[in-house]
Amino acid sequence: MVQRNGPFLSRPVSRRTILKGATGATAAFAASGLVGRSATRAQTPAAEVNSVIEQILKIPGANTHQPTQSDMEKVGELCLGPTKAVIKPNEFKGVGIRFMGLNNQNVHDFVFRAFLKSWEEYTGAKITWIDLSQADYNSHFQQAVATGTIDFDMLEMGAPFEGDLLGKGLGSPMPDWVKKVINIDNLVAYLKPPVGTWDGVLYRTTIDGDCHNFNYRADYFADKDLASEWTKSGGQGDWAVPTTWQQVQAATKFIKGKKVDGQDAYGYLDVCKPWGGFGWYFFASRATAYAKYPGDKSWLFDPTTMKPRISDPSFVRAIQDVIDVLPDEPPDQINADGNTTGFNEFLGGTGSMCPWWGDIGPAVYTSDSSVVQGKVAFSILPGSDDVYNTKTQKWEKLASGPNFAPNMAYLGWGVYVMKATEKNAALNKACWSVAAHLGGEAISQWTSCYPSGFQPYRTTHFNVPYWTEVGYPKDYIESYLKSQSDSYNHPNSAIEPRIPGIFQYYSAAEDELAKAYAGKEDAQTCANNISAAWEKITDGIGRESQIKLYQASLGS
Amino acid sequence: MTESTVAAAGAWEVPDRSVSPARRNLGRAVIAVPTIALVAVAGIQIAHTARASAPGFANWRPVAYVYVLWAICLGIGLVMTKGERGKRALFVLPALLFTLAMVVFPTAFGFVLAFSSWNLSSSVGRQFNGFANLRQLFHDTFFWQAMLNMVYYVLSVLVQYAIAFGLALLLNQEIHLRRFFRITFLLPFMLSPVAVSWMIGKSIMDARFGPAAQLLRTLGAQAPAFFDRAWPARLSIMAMDSWYSIPFMMILLLAGLQALPDEVLEASKVDGSSGWQTFWRIVFPIMLPVSITTIILRTIFELKLADVVINVTGGAPGGATDTVSSYIFRVYNDRSNVGYGTALAEFYLIVIVLFLALMLWLSSLWLRKVR
Repeated sequence: MVQRNGPFLSRPVSRRTILKGATGATAAFAASGLVGRSATRAQTPAAEVNSVIEQILKIPGANTHQPTQSDMEKVGELCLGPTKAVIKPNEFKGVGIRFMGLNNQNVHDFVFRAFLKSWEEYTGAKITWIDLSQADYNSHFQQAVATGTIDFDMLEMGAPFEGDLLGKGLGSPMPDWVKKVINIDNLVAYLKPPVGTWDGVLYRTTIDGDCHNFNYRADYFADKDLASEWTKSGGQGDWAVPTTWQQVQAATKFIKGKKVDGQDAYGYLDVCKPWGGFGWYFFASRATAYAKYPGDKSWLFDPTTMKPRISDPSFVRAIQDVIDVLPDEPPDQINADGNTTGFNEFLGGTGSMCPWWGDIGPAVYTSDSSVVQGKVAFSILPGSDDVYNTKTQKWEKLASGPNFAPNMAYLGWGVYVMKATEKNAALNKACWSVAAHLGGEAISQWTSCYPSGFQPYRTTHFNVPYWTEVGYPKDYIESYLKSQSDSYNHPNSAIEPRIPGIFQYYSAAEDELAKAYAGKEDAQTCANNISAAWEKITDGIGRESQIKLYQASLGS
Repeated sequence: MTESTVAAAGAWEVPDRSVSPARRNLGRAVIAVPTIALVAVAGIQIAHTARASAPGFANWRPVAYVYVLWAICLGIGLVMTKGERGKRALFVLPALLFTLAMVVFPTAFGFVLAFSSWNLSSSVGRQFNGFANLRQLFHDTFFWQAMLNMVYYVLSVLVQYAIAFGLALLLNQEIHLRRFFRITFLLPFMLSPVAVSWMIGKSIMDARFGPAAQLLRTLGAQAPAFFDRAWPARLSIMAMDSWYSIPFMMILLLAGLQALPDEVLEASKVDGSSGWQTFWRIVFPIMLPVSITTIILRTIFELKLADVVINVTGGAPGGATDTVSSYIFRVYNDRSNVGYGTALAEFYLIVIVLFLALMLWLSSLWLRKVR
């Protein structure tokens, strides 16, 4: 059992306090600068939704544990209202649904199963689960689609795969009644169409918001001994949280060999091990500030030729950064994948800076393996003092200061229904009812606040009082939500291309990056090799169609 | 040739006088009609697959059904045309047809795929691309690194053999708790390599929290890690692989040792041979056939090594621990590159067949020389 700091999950919640707090939160956000041009405006959901939220946020309740199966079943049951308003009892009796999703970290399908238990009892439908590990997801999905052996009626899928699924006409458009039930109007701006759409038609029930934010150990950067040593060693400026990659590099080199709380101290944690394509995102988070030039939507490929930009000096610098700093990271970091870095190392107290999806925020206070409560804070990904302009082919220092470009990694999970279900009206309606239940307003507040694999994705999720009533310290959760909100709304955020085979590009890059990190090739050779591999993939899939789809995904 | 040998040879020949010409003709028809149907259905589907506009079935299932029907009719037809000999053929036929469907056909189909460009994300599907995959293979540094790694991994089999032989000799002695040790030494072999990967590679050998790293730190090692550089990572994989493979070799060698003729060993004792002389001049030569079989079997398993590498390192650092199978897994699984992945697999199959044929030939030469 880990020691908890503060009154986590300790105070009772009332509808009045939630409503009062939620209203006050908007004012508080405005006062703290969270609301504004670059922030998500926290909205309050309708009263009946708020009432359900008030009840479910108490589960699992005061001073307890990571949510159990039984806790999540209760949440699912309490959120059945919108289903009951549209579906009659036993309306889907005899209907069988095959649902494909992830079995990662005891979240995703584990959470869905529990949420849907009462739904199954009420509607009479029966769900068969196809659970996949994160690393197996892409292959299973691609093989099923390409060989016509689709063995699922609906699936949990990230927007990057939309090109593969919706581009081939395999999705079922979202019915109007579902749009009303899930209230798509209060999605955060970056998840609104064109995300989830194809040729202007909406297919996706969003259940997650994704971006990489910067998780850091506030105690490291408030440590007086480290500050004094930093000054003595001639470190530039005050000892403070790095806001640029140049500062991250310097801090990581400085921290190596120091002790914090009697333990070996480390700075930044890179993800170096191939991870079925998902490892790419961690490298991309290092590169976006160098490569994403303000005003230019594209950053991975030239939108008119699909020529990769990976061999540009921007990406080469990012590769070189990892190579330079790897010896100062924890031993065997070269063999660490994303889960190891985020959950074993950072939550386990090793290292002081890492990029991750928003899972780290709630996990610090809800994961039984976390030992960093009270020590963590968040920001958007670091920027860079200069940025590479592909048009002039020169590095530029912007008049506005460092260039920031948050990595909108993966664009969040959604639930999609297969076109084939349309042959059976009851099955199609049942699938959409499942999607509506999982993407409902109330249930989404719970998945945002507790470990579920999903992060805030509605404007209503940014109400600080919901989180403080759950038990998160106010300063902590404000820091977390601000990092998410500022990333989502950043004018120079790096949006991922929704083109077919995107994970093939990522996987090929991972292999070459691993070679460079192991010292088998220099940064430029690595970048050139990735570029060559990507050109081959583009030709294999079809260059003309990829150009068209890439341009469409950029909204041009 | 004597009459008795002719009679003995003829004992296997059963006259099929019971088969009337009419029955034989009917039997031929029972075989011919389904054969024509199978060829026709398969031909239609092949044409449909090659050109979508040609008529065909939605999938290959009808071809599979006709194949099963053809197999049944073939069995019936053989009995009708060959009588007793046909009945005997029925003992072999199911296994033969099963092998044809499950081994020969996929391998042959694999060769077709190997000459194709088939990226699962491509909207145009599979396209014939000649020798492009083969050309790519010869320039693929990851593949050749994996091939080189396979040489190292296969060489480690000799070390595993030496350890397994030592353990087998030990367990063949009249030692205390012999049965207990035999079962204990076998335990790793009963574990799944995936479990071994997680228990040992991801837990015990974890550089941060693993007891092995803790122990090395206690002994004064600075920042010990098992998978951060090429050779330590490779050796760590070999160690894990050996841990669950040595018992397999040990049990084969132990069986061989227990079959050694006691009188030969007793005679060497009477003649005053030392323990080493007995081993080197008597036990080792007699055990050679068992040893070679053990090494060849273990080499075949080693050439397929993948699970531990995929789970523990994913080929890192930089492909230094990759096996050919783990690399093919990435090409096929992560990059959906069916054409190139199959080309790699087929090429590797040919290399394995040639290597094992060479190994068998050399070992038979050596055995002949020793004898």
